[in-house]
Amino acid sequence: MKLTFPGEREIDDSVFTSSQIRKTWHSHQDISALEEQTQVLLKALALKPTQVDKKNAHYFFAEKGKYSRLGMVFVHISILFILGGGLIGTIWGFDGQMNVVEGATSDTVLLYGGTGTKKLGFGVRCDNFTVDFYETGMPKEYRSDLTIVEGERKVMSGSVRVNHPLTYKGLKFCQATYGVAGMDNFRVVIQNNSTGKKTVLTLGLMQKVPIPESTVSFAIAKYVPNQGRRKPAVLGVLLEPGKAHDIFWIEKNERKEKGDFTFTLRDFDKRYYTGIQVSKDPGVPLVWTGFFLILAGFILSLFFVHKRVWLRIVAERGGYEISLAANISKNKKAFKEKLEGLIGTFQQGGAA
Amino acid sequence: MNDTFLISIVTFAYFSAAFVFLVSFIFQKKYMDTVATAVTVAGLLLQTLALIIRWIHSYQLGIGHAPLSNFYESLVFFSWSIIFIYVVTRKRYGNSITGILATFFSFLILAYASLSGKVDCQIQPLIPALQSNWLISHVISSFLAYACFAIAFGMSILYLVKRRAGKERIVLLPDAAVLDEITYKMISVGFVLLTLGIITGAAWADRAWGRYWGWDPKETWSLITWLIYGTFLHARLARGWRGIKMSLISIIGFLAVIFTYLGVNYILSGLHSYL
Repeated sequence: MKLTFPGEREIDDSVFTSSQIRKTWHSHQDISALEEQTQVLLKALALKPTQVDKKNAHYFFAEKGKYSRLGMVFVHISILFILGGGLIGTIWGFDGQMNVVEGATSDTVLLYGGTGTKKLGFGVRCDNFTVDFYETGMPKEYRSDLTIVEGERKVMSGSVRVNHPLTYKGLKFCQATYGVAGMDNFRVVIQNNSTGKKTVLTLGLMQKVPIPESTVSFAIAKYVPNQGRRKPAVLGVLLEPGKAHDIFWIEKNERKEKGDFTFTLRDFDKRYYTGIQVSKDPGVPLVWTGFFLILAGFILSLFFVHKRVWLRIVAERGGYEISLAANISKNKKAFKEKLEGLIGTFQQGGAA
Repeated sequence: MNDTFLISIVTFAYFSAAFVFLVSFIFQKKYMDTVATAVTVAGLLLQTLALIIRWIHSYQLGIGHAPLSNFYESLVFFSWSIIFIYVVTRKRYGNSITGILATFFSFLILAYASLSGKVDCQIQPLIPALQSNWLISHVISSFLAYACFAIAFGMSILYLVKRRAGKERIVLLPDAAVLDEITYKMISVGFVLLTLGIITGAAWADRAWGRYWGWDPKETWSLITWLIYGTFLHARLARGWRGIKMSLISIIGFLAVIFTYLGVNYILSGLHSYL
């Protein structure tokens, strides 16, 4: 038989006057019967009692779910974790956006809130950007194929889609936006008026390309989406040594005669830029810890109950006085009703 | 079978259940309550079936996703959640008056979803932001929380009616203490679910938008709602408040829920444009 209560240094009779639930009754049964009934009562509450015997009193104490009280502590501490994580993120983290044109490399992030720029110390190259649509015209997927470049060395490649970020050196790269940076790969058909021979040139903006079998070069100075007959057009430049530049519009799928040649703009490609959100937040692990704690705290306090029951049997003239005290952290009403039923059984000597 | 057709049967079932609950409440007939409950449970099963059919149907269209992704689907799921919460808690807290509130509220939501020209019931493909495994857990926990708060709101209104009218006049209504207790229990469960909804939302936002919290209107209003119900729980557990003051906090909390759900999308603009 143990001499001390777990968690209780000494037997304190004050619980029998201060607890939430208190009950006292008298019995003429002998002590061993009463002790057995006590065990039955506590067992019915799924409790295992510790018994302490004193001079003329017998004490029983039983407790369950002590740790459920930690639930509320967890919940409140978790708020501190979350706020702390937020603070750390605000101080040592950053977020911003970088727009990278297909084929280009950037190492600079434009911070949100107009607070300047940040050099990453490595380059982010956009190899390709694609946007897919459903038949209804709703966007289906935005994808940027990125390569991380340290100096000249390719470190890693991967595609970034919405909900599928890329992480490198603690930085997170998320697909945020995209746009058309301009047009590229203009296919221009050039026909030599005297020979009738056709050549197709593929060229970008401001790129001088010699026209085969001639002394003349050709370049495109500008692209406009609506020109003349509301067609996309480019501003062509004919460069002949010793002569002034000849500048003229070439509309899409329209023939344009100039000097010895006839020009037609066949097609061109859109060149996208991708808007990548770059963020760093060293506070995130703390915030996740807070989230975990708050849920653990809720589970502890929702699904576990702290209940304590004390029972004292004191010898008196002609029998015994029995006192019961109990505390419960919730569902007091239901617990009280259950206890009253059990006490009733006890009083009838366990007969019922 | 078409899921929207099933939903119209469910709408009718909830309306009938509300009517039978009302009769049961007025004439205090126990068997009427049983009938109404049976109709409600049948409605819930049918509505669950409709959700599953819609889910399967979306896969047949080649755009498979859980039916939780647009306004129509959110309304249907909200009404499902209210009935679900009512059915699982009815053994402990159920009575004819909670039955009337739950079924009638769900009926109104479904009727609005089906009849309003503003609500498109087509199955739509998912935009990239919604293509995430977080969708299901985030939406389910949020809407179950809304449903708990809706029932708590109904109980709080009844509490005020009961207190205002005095005990003698509305004998049919449950005890004020019972209404107070149901409000508290619903808000405790709803609070945990709302917390879970916010956490899953934060985890999702971290992947989709690169940050777990960005003061988007939906995020801000969900925090306001959380703080109101947090105040409710502290007032009750730490300060021991009961009664009219608690009902008022519960009512204010539900107004915040409605604003988080609908107001943010109609009045403010933000990232959460798809509800």
